Amino acid sequence: MRGIVTDINREEFRLLKERRRENDASYENSDWIFLLFLVFIVVILALVVILIKNQNTKNKIAEELQKSTLLIQKNIKEISAVNSELEAFSYSISHDLRAPLRAINGYAKILHEDYASYLDTDGISALNSIHSNSKKMGELIDALLAFSKLGRKQVTTSQLNMDALVKLVKEETANKLSKIEFTLHELLPAKGDQVLIKQVWVNLISNAIKYSNQKLKSMIEIGSYSKDNLVIYYVKDNGAGFDMQYYDKLFGVFQRLHSQEEFEGTGIGLAIVQKIIQRHNGAVWAESKLNEGTCFYFSLPAL
Amino acid sequence: MNYSNIEILFVEDSIDDAALTMRGLKKGGFSNTIFHVKDGAEALDFLYCKGAYTLRNCEDHPKLILLDLKMPKVSGIEVLEKIKSNMELKTIPVVILTSSKEDPDIKRCYELGANSYIVKPVESDNFFQIIKDLNFYWMISNQSPK
Repeated sequence: MRGIVTDINREEFRLLKERRRENDASYENSDWIFLLFLVFIVVILALVVILIKNQNTKNKIAEELQKSTLLIQKNIKEISAVNSELEAFSYSISHDLRAPLRAINGYAKILHEDYASYLDTDGISALNSIHSNSKKMGELIDALLAFSKLGRKQVTTSQLNMDALVKLVKEETANKLSKIEFTLHELLPAKGDQVLIKQVWVNLISNAIKYSNQKLKSMIEIGSYSKDNLVIYYVKDNGAGFDMQYYDKLFGVFQRLHSQEEFEGTGIGLAIVQKIIQRHNGAVWAESKLNEGTCFYFSLPAL
Repeated sequence: MNYSNIEILFVEDSIDDAALTMRGLKKGGFSNTIFHVKDGAEALDFLYCKGAYTLRNCEDHPKLILLDLKMPKVSGIEVLEKIKSNMELKTIPVVILTSSKEDPDIKRCYELGANSYIVKPVESDNFFQIIKDLNFYWMISNQSPK
C-alpha cells in the first residue's frame, strides 16, 4: 500500500515537475510573442511617424512650390507691367517727341528759305544751329528707339553664311570704300538671327571705315576662328583707335570716345552690337591702341 | 463752301504738321486741291457727309487720303477701319502719314488695308522731299479706280 502511495506520489511529483517545465516553456514562448508584438508595434509606429513626416515634408514642399510659383507669377506680372510701361514710353517718344522737333526743324527751314534776306550772318548762323541741333536730336531719338526695339525683338536663329553676309554688307557700303584696302578671310559659319547679325556687321564695318578715314590708306581686315563651341569673328582697322583706359565706356548707350568734330555719330552703334550679341549668348570685346587702330571681336555659337 | 473736286483729303490734328505738309505739297509744284480736316471725327463727317458736311455731294470721293494716326477723339486707325470696311470708300488709296515707327502700328495699318505707310522725318529737307515724292507717286504715277 505504502509502496503504491509512494509510487503515486513520485508520479505526481514527476508530473508536477513536467507541468512546471511545460509552463516555463510556455512562459518563455509568450515572452517571445510579446517581444515580437512589441517590435511589430514599434515598427508600425516608426512607419506611421515616417509616413507623417513624409507627408509633412510633402506638404512643406508643396507649400514651398506654391510660394515659388506665386513669386514667379508676381515677378512675371511685374516684368510685363514694366515691359508695357517701356512700350508705352517708346510709343510716346516715337509719336510725341518727334513731332515738335519736326516743327522746330521745319520752321527754321522756312525762316531760312523765306526770310533769310532779313537776317544778318549771325541770324543765319543761329538758324543753322537750330536746324542742325533739332536734326541731331531727331537722330538721337531714332537711335534710342532702335535700341529699345532691339530688346523687345524676338531672335530667330538659323545657319548663317557669314561669307555671303559680309560681302553683302561690304557692297552696300561700297561707295565709301574708294581708298580702303579690304582683307576678307574666309569666314566660318555660325548660328544667329540673319537680320540682327547683319546689323552687327554693318555697325562694325562702318565704324572701321569711319575711324580709319583720316589715314592715308584705310586697311580693314575681317576674319574668324573657332574656339571651344564658339566661332569668333573680328574686324580690324588701322584707324584712330582709343585709349584702353576708357574701355568700360566703349559699349555704353550714347557714350563716345571721340568728339563730334573728330568723328560724327550718335554713340549707339556699339551699344546695339553688344545688345545683339548678348541676345545670342555671345560676347563682344575689343583691343585698341590710340592712333594705331582697333580690333573688334564677337563670338557666336558654332553650328 | 463748295466741296467738289477735292483731290486729296488730308487728316492731321497738329497745326504745325499740317502747315509744313501743305507747304511741302505746294512747294512740290502740284496744284491738286487739298482739303484739310483737323481730326478723325471730322474726316468721317467729311467722308460720310455728316455734321458740317451734309451738303457735300457724297458720290464725289477724294482721289487720295493722307491720314495721321495719333489724333484726339477718333484715331487714324479707327478712320482707316471705317474707310476700308465701306464698299463705297474702300478703293480710295489711304496713305498713313505719321510720326510712329512702331511695328504694331505699321502691321495693324496694313492689316486694315492701308495702301502705304510713311514715317514723317524730323529733318525738314527729307520731310519736304517725302511729301513731294508722295504727291508725285499717288497723283501722277499711280492709277486709282475712277
